[in-house]
Amino acid sequence: MAGKRTSTPYLDLKRRQMLKFAGASAAIGGFGLCSGLASASESTRPGDDAEDVLDVAIIGAGLAGLTAARDLHLAGNRSFLVLEARDRVGGRTLNFEVGDGHVSEVGGQWIGPGQTAVQDLARQLDVGTFPQFYEGRTVVMGGDGRLEYDLGGTFGTDMTIADKLSEMSHEVPSGAPWQSPKAAEWDRLSVGDWLATQNVQPEDQSGWDAALTLTGGVSVSKMGLLHYLSMINSADCDYEKLDSIKDSAQGTRLIGGSQILSSKMAGVLGDQVRLQCPVRRISGWDGEVVTLHTDQGRVRARKVIMAIHPALCNQIEYEPALPAARAALQRAWPAHSPARKIAMVYSRPFWREKGLNGHILMLDGPIIWAWDNSPPDGEIGIVNAFISNANLPSDHETARRTLMDIFARAWGDEALQPVAYHDQDWGRHDPWSLTCVSAIPPGFWSTHGEALHPPCGNLFWSGTETADIWAGYMDGAVRSGHQSALQVLNALRQA
Amino acid sequence: MKKLIVLGVVAGFVALLACYGRDALGLYRLMDHIATSSEAKEADSGSWPRLTDACIGCHGRQGHSLHQGYPSLAGQPAPYLASQLRRFASGERSNPNMGPLAMTLTEYEIQQLAGYFARQSAIGNGSFKPEAALVARGEQLAATAGCAACHGDNLMGHDQFPRLAGQGHDYLLAQLNAFAQGSRKDPGGVMSAIAATLSADDRRALAHYLAALAPAEN
Repeated sequence: MAGKRTSTPYLDLKRRQMLKFAGASAAIGGFGLCSGLASASESTRPGDDAEDVLDVAIIGAGLAGLTAARDLHLAGNRSFLVLEARDRVGGRTLNFEVGDGHVSEVGGQWIGPGQTAVQDLARQLDVGTFPQFYEGRTVVMGGDGRLEYDLGGTFGTDMTIADKLSEMSHEVPSGAPWQSPKAAEWDRLSVGDWLATQNVQPEDQSGWDAALTLTGGVSVSKMGLLHYLSMINSADCDYEKLDSIKDSAQGTRLIGGSQILSSKMAGVLGDQVRLQCPVRRISGWDGEVVTLHTDQGRVRARKVIMAIHPALCNQIEYEPALPAARAALQRAWPAHSPARKIAMVYSRPFWREKGLNGHILMLDGPIIWAWDNSPPDGEIGIVNAFISNANLPSDHETARRTLMDIFARAWGDEALQPVAYHDQDWGRHDPWSLTCVSAIPPGFWSTHGEALHPPCGNLFWSGTETADIWAGYMDGAVRSGHQSALQVLNALRQA
Repeated sequence: MKKLIVLGVVAGFVALLACYGRDALGLYRLMDHIATSSEAKEADSGSWPRLTDACIGCHGRQGHSLHQGYPSLAGQPAPYLASQLRRFASGERSNPNMGPLAMTLTEYEIQQLAGYFARQSAIGNGSFKPEAALVARGEQLAATAGCAACHGDNLMGHDQFPRLAGQGHDYLLAQLNAFAQGSRKDPGGVMSAIAATLSADDRRALAHYLAALAPAEN
């Protein structure tokens, strides 16, 4: 059951045709990504000769690593490799190919106001954007209850409480929360500790838990207040720009699906992106040449960009051991938010004809939030949903039926006729993400913050978690990629 | 005075019902669900915000996981749960998701969580679809290996030994494999020794039997 993630009863034929087409494109060049073990005939690729020393090795072909590689390439450097553990690029972004050229994202997918780094990258790569669909009535479900309500592109948050959080966020710098003048006071508290003083009504309590689970990665009791305020600070100190839909960080989508950013960048880099090449051990990081021990042999480089999640950094063996403060940060970095996301595909977005927006907010059910994830023209109907991982059976068919029944209660019997279904549990699919966002607990930044940014020898820490604005988001990943490229170019100049 | 307010609410509700019919009934049921479920949660695990809410996404409501890969915590012995949380935090039991989360817990929180999940009744693994031949083979293996000697009658667990009956299949199999390969170790080494004698097929059959086994009343 772990193996099956997609069912497409009506699209299987289409899929076989598509695969045939994909095979043909690969044969005539395609993206030219290389994978598998290096063979003698390929020994001219950079880094293949163990005696070769690259300027830069980049670990991770997600948005951060590929942005860094693109910057190096634009700067004229060709002496680098991107090493990727998976057999694909994109990291925590992933397109689900629905067929007929349509896609739905089953990983990170939105951009929003103030996310200028990813907006610029999309423009440079000629990737268009379009608004997340929200017009119409959202269905709120709980028990036997059901309410249709036009939330006007919001999640219906109690703004008196949200406004207080926005105000407090002015004092917590997004890129370095531990430097807040209020750090000592606020880093002791969870968001739950603070909300407990705000007289939150029973009907709003689940809403706060759901909002924090989706945006912060954990319910309010284990989410650090200081960290959450730093996230609001990223959103221009405006709660609604962080956690709403319209004019917010869930407000805008990328045409072609978010993974297209990574695919396009990797396409230009050709065989400088090496797939299925996990790094297991790093030796000599404190010397002039660092050696990376990978499943495809050794790679040697003067500088290394670590464009992977801190909890993944923690799984690599270091020789010599990393400085204690950095090792402690990696070991404590939270990775307990393994998002499970589904996509249900219909021949058309039938709910729109009923004045419904295809969104569901559910209390105490398997769905946390479902939304209309149809392509820009609404030619077919796609619903995506964040699933409470263990509150929906893992069996593919049982999960599909359970969700179909919920959608039918929300929008009518047309929901019983999907054309495809995809279930992506990021905690279980492969070991190369571990988690979605980082559920930074109380006290974390006061203890570990200072160890986040400083390079260790020739290891430069990158990835969205290190970004100065929008850490944890696609925008943060792009910012961290630019930042680490600048850092290594300067370090090479000084060497 | 209180009565007047109640009457006012009812009058308003009747008016709504007249206007919106089915919609108002749905709204009434939704409000009723919120009131009933928040009272039930308060009685079950205290006032909001609740520490246990940090666990339910992966371990299910009240520790009843519907997912074969994420273990159910309901009805697990409190001493077992507490010692596993401590072992995750110290790194003696290695898990990239649980390690950092367990490190955030105080000893008081560990006791609170262990006690809470131990109090919940174990329920059957309803979403598991067993294969009869594997179940039969697994039952023989469980008898030969003497699982009940440590895990107790009906494999319901006690003290430091977890309940196996009705646990998630994928989780059970992953643990048996981890013991066999040495990536998980139990303090006495008994599980490592037993798992090492089982073939991959045996481990599969055993996980199948245990996942399908209905928990006894405890």
